[in-house]
Amino acid sequence: MLKTTLAGLRAHKLRLLLTSLAITLGVGFIAGTFVLTDTIETGFSRKFSAAADKIDVVVLPGETSDEPAVPADLLEKIREVEGVADVQGVVRGSAPLIGKDGKAVGDYPTAAVSILKGRLNRTEITSGTAPEKPAEAVLDANTAKTRGFAVGDTVTVLDSEGAKHEFTLVGLFDVGLDQELAYYGAVGFTAETAAKMTGQKGFREIDVAAAEGVPAETLRGSVSAAVGSGVEVKTGKRYAEDLAKANGADTKVLTLGLLLFGFVAMFVAALVIYNTFNILVAQRTREMALLRCIGATRKQVFGSVVLESAVVGLVSSVLGLLTGLGLGAGALAVISRTGLEVPTEGVALAPRTVAVGMVLGIVVTVVAALLPARAATRVAPIAALRSQVEENTFRAGVLRLVFAGLFLAAGAGVTAFAVSTGPGESELFMAMAGGAVTFLGVLILGPVMVKPLSAVAGWVPRRLFGVPGRLAVDNSRRNPKRSATTTVALTVGVALMTLISVLTSTMRATYGAKLDEQFPVDYMVQVQGDEGSFPRALAEDLRTRPELASVVALRRTDAKAGAKGNEFEVGTFTPAAGFSPKATTGSFGDLKPGTVAVGDEAAKALGVKVGDALPVTTTKDGEVRLTVVALFSEADALIPEVTVPHGDFDRYFGALDDGAIFANVKDGVAEENARKAVEAAAQPYPTAMVISSTELRGEFDEALDMMLMIITGLLGLAVLISLLGIANTLSLSVHERTRESALLRALGLTRPQLRRMLSVEALVLGVIGALVGVALGVVFGWAATSTMTTGVIFQLPAGQVLAFVALSGLAGVLAAVLPARRAARASIVDSLAAG
Amino acid sequence: MTITGEVGAWNARGNSAPAVVARGLTKVYGQGDAAVHALRGVDITFATGAFTAIMGPSGSGKSTLMHCLAGLDTVTGGQVHIGDVELTGLGDKQLTLLRRERIGFIFQAFNLLPTLTAEQNIRLPLEISGRQADQVLFDRVVETVGLRDRLAHKPTELSGGQQQRVAVARALISKPQVIFADEPTGNLDSRSGAEVLSFLRTSVRELGQTIVMVTHDPVAAAYADRVVFLRDGLLVNELVQPTPQSVLDTLMKLEA
Repeated sequence: MLKTTLAGLRAHKLRLLLTSLAITLGVGFIAGTFVLTDTIETGFSRKFSAAADKIDVVVLPGETSDEPAVPADLLEKIREVEGVADVQGVVRGSAPLIGKDGKAVGDYPTAAVSILKGRLNRTEITSGTAPEKPAEAVLDANTAKTRGFAVGDTVTVLDSEGAKHEFTLVGLFDVGLDQELAYYGAVGFTAETAAKMTGQKGFREIDVAAAEGVPAETLRGSVSAAVGSGVEVKTGKRYAEDLAKANGADTKVLTLGLLLFGFVAMFVAALVIYNTFNILVAQRTREMALLRCIGATRKQVFGSVVLESAVVGLVSSVLGLLTGLGLGAGALAVISRTGLEVPTEGVALAPRTVAVGMVLGIVVTVVAALLPARAATRVAPIAALRSQVEENTFRAGVLRLVFAGLFLAAGAGVTAFAVSTGPGESELFMAMAGGAVTFLGVLILGPVMVKPLSAVAGWVPRRLFGVPGRLAVDNSRRNPKRSATTTVALTVGVALMTLISVLTSTMRATYGAKLDEQFPVDYMVQVQGDEGSFPRALAEDLRTRPELASVVALRRTDAKAGAKGNEFEVGTFTPAAGFSPKATTGSFGDLKPGTVAVGDEAAKALGVKVGDALPVTTTKDGEVRLTVVALFSEADALIPEVTVPHGDFDRYFGALDDGAIFANVKDGVAEENARKAVEAAAQPYPTAMVISSTELRGEFDEALDMMLMIITGLLGLAVLISLLGIANTLSLSVHERTRESALLRALGLTRPQLRRMLSVEALVLGVIGALVGVALGVVFGWAATSTMTTGVIFQLPAGQVLAFVALSGLAGVLAAVLPARRAARASIVDSLAAG
Repeated sequence: MTITGEVGAWNARGNSAPAVVARGLTKVYGQGDAAVHALRGVDITFATGAFTAIMGPSGSGKSTLMHCLAGLDTVTGGQVHIGDVELTGLGDKQLTLLRRERIGFIFQAFNLLPTLTAEQNIRLPLEISGRQADQVLFDRVVETVGLRDRLAHKPTELSGGQQQRVAVARALISKPQVIFADEPTGNLDSRSGAEVLSFLRTSVRELGQTIVMVTHDPVAAAYADRVVFLRDGLLVNELVQPTPQSVLDTLMKLEA
């Protein structure tokens, strides 16, 4: 029996390969995910441990301390500890670098770090030297390149008070794997200068080097005793391990996210395998019957099919692992091209990856083949003698309808409940769970739906392609179970793609509308990184500009509020025409002296509603009791969570500087003139960033497009696998209908007509799958958006949805190319003689 | 069982010229030592409006001859004419169009498309060639083969005899120049077989249809006007107005 199976497999290498491809891709994706994240993780831990070699003991801010810094006075205490060879504090803060245009570079202030000396230095100077004197600085290589600075240049950096300081650029350094520095850009100084520039009183960490012959653990003990409580003391080795672990948690999120797509792909692959084996068993009815005739037991027949699937699973898993290795390396190469710092060395298949890939590949294949194998055992020996292949007559069983009904009702019910309950994280999950259950219902109902759906999908081809078209549409629903499984595989990918595209376009529309409604301003001027303030003179200057219609200044500070005395952002806005925040309850019209408007989240935390009194601790006026007159949505409005009238604010907290300014352009003023005016006003303040609402929207759109592209790309794999399924089903069907095709050819169907017939069949299958997918995607995309936030403006991306349907049909046609060619090339005489 | 009406038009297609003519027909499969000479130079003419049976022992080349005559297979040498068209040298597309317009087929088994009803199967050749079915003719053909109440059935719901009758009706409906029948009764019981054969004979007698039938059954061959015998790829004998006995005797002589 074993020999028979293996001989059969050898005889059908191509079929084996095509079937394997589905699993290969799925396993490849999962293995690739592991390869990618493993490489990143090992790379990081290697770098970390290399850094740890330089440090013996490190003192870090205690976890509970409010101020995340190591007190500066500890440095001298540690220096006196016995066995300490060297000790230096690491200063880190922010110090905005001024670009050549006179404005602070980037959206966030540049990070400032102290460059350590001697053995403890972990920074790699790539050109020039490390800063030795107070007037010297180094810049990270990437920032230097993008901002056009070179060694020898003079750079201007702002200190924490906003005063300008000039430095000579003496070198460039590599930020290595420090994501924080890589993101913000970094300027390095000597320890003293760094402390002066950032205004930091303490250290980010204190690094200690042990004297010759002093074990790190011993030193850790004595340092720990010297510094007392409130800080954490670790050996360098332990520190590296902790860093690697924290980083591992980050990569874990990436791993899980990617694996999710991998599992979708595997699910689709399982559907393809199930279908393929089902068809293979049906086609080999006579072969199975013959085996039974000559004495094979049911168990042996079952075993032979399962064995075949195991071999397919084994082969495809091995190929999948190799594919994964390539995918992982390729992904790393692509990521490092985008400028992100990732390790690219030591790409390898970990034993865990091999185990997971092999087990998953084989188990999924074998499990998917179990039902077909059981069907094989039902073949009666007498079937060997029948010549005509029986047509599969499908009737919708009561059990199928009942189960499908139950699943659909449950799915719809859960989703409807979630939608009606309103936005929230658990509701979103509920809606998505409802979607999954509904999908199962659709899966069960599939064969019943094929007939009506093929009528819909085939309406145009039937009329357009004449006899081949009509025959194709008939063929597409000839075996409803087979068609349903084939198309459902495609449905999975298309449904998810549609869902994502509905989500993004709805978010785009909703965000756009909210921007128009709540952010009715054309320009916003804010401090780089949105931390700090600029003089009121800037707003005054803007008010004098003829290009602008209205200017609103925002002022804010942190103050204790409520019965518990927690800190909230308390602020105000200067009134101007056309700027009116929207209240969810109460009215901003009532915002008069002695009153306050509170954001929804803050109101929840404070436990206040309109009409209640809210105690606020002020700096100039002691504790004041304010009456809440309005609540507003924090997500939508741009004002501080606790907003008081601007006259009151000055009285409570003094004449604070402006934190942000909103400006509206006068009607009829050209966009670029307005922009010039705002920028001219902001020019004297290096950290004042000008943001236009169109830019803001553009950035948001870009981010959405990027997300849509990445997710669609990842889902593309599932779609690709389902297309393999269509190709597989078609080529097996073509094989099954060899004599039928020959008959049609004898009756006068030309080769192109025969090819067209198969292409149309694939087109109809593709469109059926896409229609169901699009319907599911739209409905659950709507459910998802309406459980995400309030005030959703549902947007159906009709163009994209139509494109999905069209592309699915087209892809189906593409999948039919090879099977159709083979069918058309077959000799009529040989085919008529065939089995 | 008489068919009147359009019979005149049917017959008018030229009684004088032969329907199918083959000259020096050879067919070789394979090459070199492995070459099999299926036809070694066959000269044969099939008269219009005649029912001819081709007989011969297994491997005599009778099926190959039919495939070559019908343009289903290419020939190695010689010529085949269907009416005034020479088949040899035609490309696949032209051969397909020729089959579509001028030839009807009845095979031993698997004659019908399982997805189509009996009526759709009958009309299939016309639809493929984009012609309208002549409703009068359709009704008569259906009446003749006795399928009126079976038209809406799928092939799986029909008996073997009924399926072959549908195949006969399908071959007749497009009024082809010649119908090639390959063992049309091979899968049928004797009663159904006799029915199908008498339909074929009736269509020759009353419609002037030309039929070429390959068979190994002397009883079936006896329905024909003329029987030609093949052995080892050569035409060796022929009988006019055969009876089952005379066919059997000739066969016995051939096998001896």
